[in-house]
Amino acid sequence: MVLSHRERLLRVFEFKGVDRVPNYEFGYWRETIERWHGEGLPLHIRTSRDIERYLGLEGLESLEGLPIVIGIWPPSREVVLKEEEGKEIVADGLGGIYVRKKDASATPHYIRYPIKDREDWKKIKKFLDPETPGRIPLSWSDVAEKYKDRDYPLRVFVGSLCGWLRDWMGIERLSKAFYRESDWVEEMIDTIADMVVNVLDKVLRDVVPDLAWFWEDIAYSKGPMISPKLFEKYVVPRYKKITKILNAYGVKIVVVDCDGDIEPLVPGWLEAGVNCMFPLEARYVDPYKLRKEFGERILLMGGVDKRALVEGGKAVDKELERLTPLLEEGGYIPTVDHRVPPEVSFKNYMYYIGKKKEWLEKHHP
Amino acid sequence: MDLRSNDVLNHLFNALVNLESTKQYCEEASNKGISIQEITSIVSKALEIVGKKYEEGEYFLSELIVAGESAKECFEVYENKVQKGEIKFIGRVVVGTVEGDLHDIGKNLFIMFLRSMGFEVIDLGVDVPPQKFIEAVKQYKPDIVGMSALLTTTLPSIEKTIKLLVEHGFRDKVKVIIGGAAVSKEFVEAVGADAGGVDAYEGALICRKWVEEKKNER
Repeated sequence: MVLSHRERLLRVFEFKGVDRVPNYEFGYWRETIERWHGEGLPLHIRTSRDIERYLGLEGLESLEGLPIVIGIWPPSREVVLKEEEGKEIVADGLGGIYVRKKDASATPHYIRYPIKDREDWKKIKKFLDPETPGRIPLSWSDVAEKYKDRDYPLRVFVGSLCGWLRDWMGIERLSKAFYRESDWVEEMIDTIADMVVNVLDKVLRDVVPDLAWFWEDIAYSKGPMISPKLFEKYVVPRYKKITKILNAYGVKIVVVDCDGDIEPLVPGWLEAGVNCMFPLEARYVDPYKLRKEFGERILLMGGVDKRALVEGGKAVDKELERLTPLLEEGGYIPTVDHRVPPEVSFKNYMYYIGKKKEWLEKHHP
Repeated sequence: MDLRSNDVLNHLFNALVNLESTKQYCEEASNKGISIQEITSIVSKALEIVGKKYEEGEYFLSELIVAGESAKECFEVYENKVQKGEIKFIGRVVVGTVEGDLHDIGKNLFIMFLRSMGFEVIDLGVDVPPQKFIEAVKQYKPDIVGMSALLTTTLPSIEKTIKLLVEHGFRDKVKVIIGGAAVSKEFVEAVGADAGGVDAYEGALICRKWVEEKKNER
């Protein structure tokens, strides 16, 4: 059987037989690429996408994305307000100010979040208007035509119902708002969901992507940042608005990108129609447990423990062996469980990639 | 609202456990002359329940944050009494997120639980260099030093701070507790901290146990 990339993706996630599972990886930190430049990675290979092409991977950076804008539009412009030793104070263009380290990939630390109160929200809300020109290419009919007979998967980014609010308000303000001003939180999540639905409604009638992609990042080592109770009451109904339109147009794979221990939120996501969990950080998430509990309702992507790549050699072999039954069962695409960190040597990574290619050829549904 | 004192304290307790606003009950308590010690005791008991609910998986980070906010409302009502020195603290803790790290949620939760248990807490903030911890120990003479690190790249700051405590002769005068996502039990042992690698609530319980043991030794 010889399949196209698109057929491979769709069949794996339908638990059908394939020639091999798609070879995807999450990406690489800037510091990792810098390290690898000193260890044999050619200097002209600079980005995650470059690395994927160099190594013959099929994604995830290289996956074609539907060229529409879901989120803040027009884009905000950052300004560096002040430079200090090793760090910069930055105005994010949305009313927030954060500190970021120079020359490092760390998460920025907000000293003033964009949204403190309802007045701040009113300003941000204007950037979530679905009718703002530029969200959909003016040459939309030409773009839609391009995707008509494709043999590659097409992804559509469908936004974030919690992660963005956490970014704009901070988890502390957001948590307090859930309990003290829930009407306001509902209004904010509704605004985001309605923007997504509005834009999707315009494009899905012409192009049906193969997978939809949410980003959240609302979990950490100890579990979700917001409780399943709040999640199911306030967020799940709004996911459903989006998955309803996706399903109506035939988009059946709906991915959520959320680090950390996501397990308590999985039932809510599945109920909402979000059916693929990524990246399954191995330190916190057991994909076998999810498969056992949810069966073929749940699709899985990620799960390869990055710590095995730090160790290298036999640790990598053992890790791939651990995931073999899951790979053979179907419904699972392995990737390293986050961007490859700089603790992983280029040598170890190339060993992993070599072993992974053989593994994918040998083991598949 | 005109409630009897016991009723006020019961309402306060329930409001905290159920994550509601406590301001009205604290104001009523203050008007009735209920002491800050009684308030602290109720807040502490309520936050123990909150802590247990967190450990049992009923409450999550969002609930801890809201409980902290409710507790803060209480202490704000009594703030002028704190400034007059009417509060008797059970111990003093210097807390900070280590140099190179800007994360503070875990640190703030730890501080909330410490204050609810009756500790005086000196919050050094984030990105705290080792030398600043030493200066704080010199100035405040705490019972405990708490350090938080979310990023593995900032763990060496913890090690450096503990070494400086030894060099300055402070190590046997303070207990050291370390926490944050980057801190494992193995690391706690390797750097010679007294405790760590636990969540904010458990960390605060350990601190309380230490001061109680210290009091019993005297």
